[in-house]
Amino acid sequence: METKLLTEFYHLDEFRGIEGYKKNGGYVELAKALKMQPQAIIDEVKAAGLRGRGGAGFPTGMKWGFLPKNNEPRYLLCNADEGEPGTFKDRMMMERAPHQLIEGMIMSAYAIGSKKSYIYIRGEYKTPIRIVTQALEEAYKAGYLGKNILGSGFDHDMDVYSGAGAYICGEETGMISSLEGLKGQPKLKPPFPAVQGYLRKPTIVNNVETLAAVKYIIRDGAAAYKKYGTEKSAGTKLFSLSGNVMKPGNYEVPLAYPLKDLINGLGGGMKPGRKLKAVIPGGSSAPVLTAEEVERATLDYECLAGMGTMLGSGAVIVIDDSQCMVDLLGVLMHFYHHESCGQCTPCREGTGWLNKIVHSILEGRGRLQDIDLLMKVADNMKGRTICALSDAAALPVLSFVSKFRDEFEFYVREGRSKVRGTSYAEMHH
Amino acid sequence: MPKCTINGKEVEVKEGSTIMEAYYQTGEAIAHYCYHPGLSVAGVCRLCICEIEGNPRPQIACNTVVTEGMKINNKSEKIKDGVKWVLDFHLINHPLDCPICDQAGECGLQDQYMEFGKYNPEMSERKVKKHKVVDLGPRVVLDSERCILCSRCTRFTEEVTKTNELGLFNRGDRTEIGVVEGKQLDNNYSMNTVDICPVGALTSKDFRFRQRVWYLKDADTICTGCSTGCNTKVYFNKEGIFRIKPRYNPDVNGHWMTDTGRDAYKFVNREARLLRAQKHTGSGWTELAPGQAAKDVSADLKSAAGDSLALVLTAQYTLEEYEAIIPAFINEFKTKKIYFWINNKESFDDFDGLLARGDKNPNTKGLLRVMEKHGLSGSWSDLEAGLNSGAIKTVVVAGPENQFVFPDMNEKIKLLSKAKKLVWMQSGKNEALNALSGDVTLIPMKSYIEKEGTYVNFKGLEQKVKRVTTVVSEALTLTEATMLMAGRNLTIPTTKELFVESNRREDEVMLEHRKKNEFVFRRGSL
Repeated sequence: METKLLTEFYHLDEFRGIEGYKKNGGYVELAKALKMQPQAIIDEVKAAGLRGRGGAGFPTGMKWGFLPKNNEPRYLLCNADEGEPGTFKDRMMMERAPHQLIEGMIMSAYAIGSKKSYIYIRGEYKTPIRIVTQALEEAYKAGYLGKNILGSGFDHDMDVYSGAGAYICGEETGMISSLEGLKGQPKLKPPFPAVQGYLRKPTIVNNVETLAAVKYIIRDGAAAYKKYGTEKSAGTKLFSLSGNVMKPGNYEVPLAYPLKDLINGLGGGMKPGRKLKAVIPGGSSAPVLTAEEVERATLDYECLAGMGTMLGSGAVIVIDDSQCMVDLLGVLMHFYHHESCGQCTPCREGTGWLNKIVHSILEGRGRLQDIDLLMKVADNMKGRTICALSDAAALPVLSFVSKFRDEFEFYVREGRSKVRGTSYAEMHH
Repeated sequence: MPKCTINGKEVEVKEGSTIMEAYYQTGEAIAHYCYHPGLSVAGVCRLCICEIEGNPRPQIACNTVVTEGMKINNKSEKIKDGVKWVLDFHLINHPLDCPICDQAGECGLQDQYMEFGKYNPEMSERKVKKHKVVDLGPRVVLDSERCILCSRCTRFTEEVTKTNELGLFNRGDRTEIGVVEGKQLDNNYSMNTVDICPVGALTSKDFRFRQRVWYLKDADTICTGCSTGCNTKVYFNKEGIFRIKPRYNPDVNGHWMTDTGRDAYKFVNREARLLRAQKHTGSGWTELAPGQAAKDVSADLKSAAGDSLALVLTAQYTLEEYEAIIPAFINEFKTKKIYFWINNKESFDDFDGLLARGDKNPNTKGLLRVMEKHGLSGSWSDLEAGLNSGAIKTVVVAGPENQFVFPDMNEKIKLLSKAKKLVWMQSGKNEALNALSGDVTLIPMKSYIEKEGTYVNFKGLEQKVKRVTTVVSEALTLTEATMLMAGRNLTIPTTKELFVESNRREDEVMLEHRKKNEFVFRRGSL
């Protein structure tokens, strides 16, 4: 069963417009929030145990707490650069309920004392950009944005910024660079954005889902929100289920929901005749789980971390027995090689190297020592760079190779896939 | 003042220092490329990783601030192995063209590989292809394949010159340095990018392919290109001087110098020099030894002693030389007609905000100081009037060393040749001088790298320089010329390091130096 907290009215087309949104409880909590002390909102979010829904799972209240306690201008950025392969929850949230995000953002901005915020949407999301832009106009007209919002004396402006198609701009400092008009590449930390971010001013970057969830913490209170999930993973989360399942799509479930129930229950199970082989539980950067591990896995931060993987952005990619792991790794490595910003040497050179090695294996030029070399290269890319893209490229390699080594060895020895039985050339021509 | 421990050595550093600075302070070895003390921290090469006690992940030294009691170490096996791998990442796509690369011998990759690398490379894939011989501007060429993308050059144009010509284009391992569309790397500091490039990606058009660096010696001196007096290093061998690079001095020039200053070797090399003294009598020019020429004019000057004798000085000589020639003219030749030749009056006080100053002389302050000491205040119009009226009959000129910065050269030659007798002392050749007729003596002078002395820069800082080498062995310093002109005897100390054997055939020189320097004489050109 889904637990529809954020997605309760997503089935209603009218929920997209401001009238329909208000009819279904919209902007009620905003008035309530604007009467609260900003610190009280931060405390509420802290107490609710809300963690960042974008991938890293960093406690949101704690992040807000890092802001310097002074009157310096500060910015709130909404990270809607949803680029993690397999993830499509933010897109649905923006398309179905743009006002939900806007309301959550105004509350969050009020809590941290920001007068200006941006929604950074990935450039490929043409429809969400249009819908959110339109919703902003409606919100301005209705007086939810601009000067003296609802007579509270709080001023706030919000803008949409369109990305230009770089995965790396989903990294918070990369996004800040991009927003500043620079080449979208992550910045060296420290200083952290909360101290020196956009235009060198304190900046908070939060995911779409995180900001939208703030509204429900204010509405129901921290205690009610905390009822969902576990002590360390509170609340509900949207999961983007994809792969060879009967009913792929976005599902909102409380955290700590069993992974096998998501696949077999909500997802309707595997397609006929297919057997589950592996699952990438949190977007392509998360290490893969084998079918046996899936049985035990629950969708929360601590269980998945204990299994050596992560919840990430909540993109559950289901891999069935017709998929060749070497092929899949080839696709992933192509992606990371294409998306590395090229700043740090281990990532710039490492992603290219990994991509070449995997493709050498795929094209039948692989050597047995290449399998170990993949592991060594990935191991030395891990944790050596400014941002996490290097790790994101290295972790799938380490997990794919260590858990499905037989498929790689077969490919090197025979020059063809163990699963498909054919070579890469045969598959592509 | 926090204390920290670097590889077991305790060191006290300034508040806010990074670990990298602490390493510099202790002299412990640490691998790095992108870090440069004169630029902001980029933290992209990821080579300077080190272990900090209590921190599970290795940190980069260039961006981590030292805190009290920090225990830092980069000697553990884990870090050594990590550095090896990062070096390998740098090298997998770097071409192995060291034999034809200009940077070989002073290359960061070579040095660091020998110190921190020495592994068996496992890369067996095709290397990335990028652009070769990219013309970035009038003085700098780029080889993108050699570039390790440390971003020092882009940071330089961004932060130091603030001209922003360079940028990083594309992403991932397709990233390349390039100039922004419609721009050229054409500022007066562009060659600094060549200096700070740790590999052979950026090379100087002036220097490339002319000499292997291991055939060059270097010595410290200062730049005489303007009144800033940047500290420099000259690189030379028996063939002459090949290039000039800046030397760090926080009080004068920091890490940088101008491109015009780098040309200061061109008037020093033999091709531009006056090699022997020349004397024009009624029938034409005769050549003689410089010392002899100075002795010869001695009698004439003595007989001309008094107000018909004038001395013209440029601000291109050392303090010691002025201290010799000015008292000699006052006391022995009994004249106070001593004038300061200002080369570019209009732009004398210009300043580009960084290093280059409008006063293109190294020692204006020094000359003025000596003139003031002796109560001299001759104005140029006095000299002009004296020459026009014929009151000044004999003129001795200490002409410019760097004629490039004397736009009024020909004009002044014309003016000064109005004197009945002209003694012109200068290091370089000049056609206008050789076109003169009448009683003219040209005496070759030593250039700034061939003598020692003191220069006083624009802010009054005295900088003493040592002799670097000799180019024209017979040339005189102003002091020596003064002594000879005053009729005193002088034995010119001949040095053993005479490096140019003018009358010998090139192949003989080659044979003699074959073992040491086989390729020196086989030069290419752009």
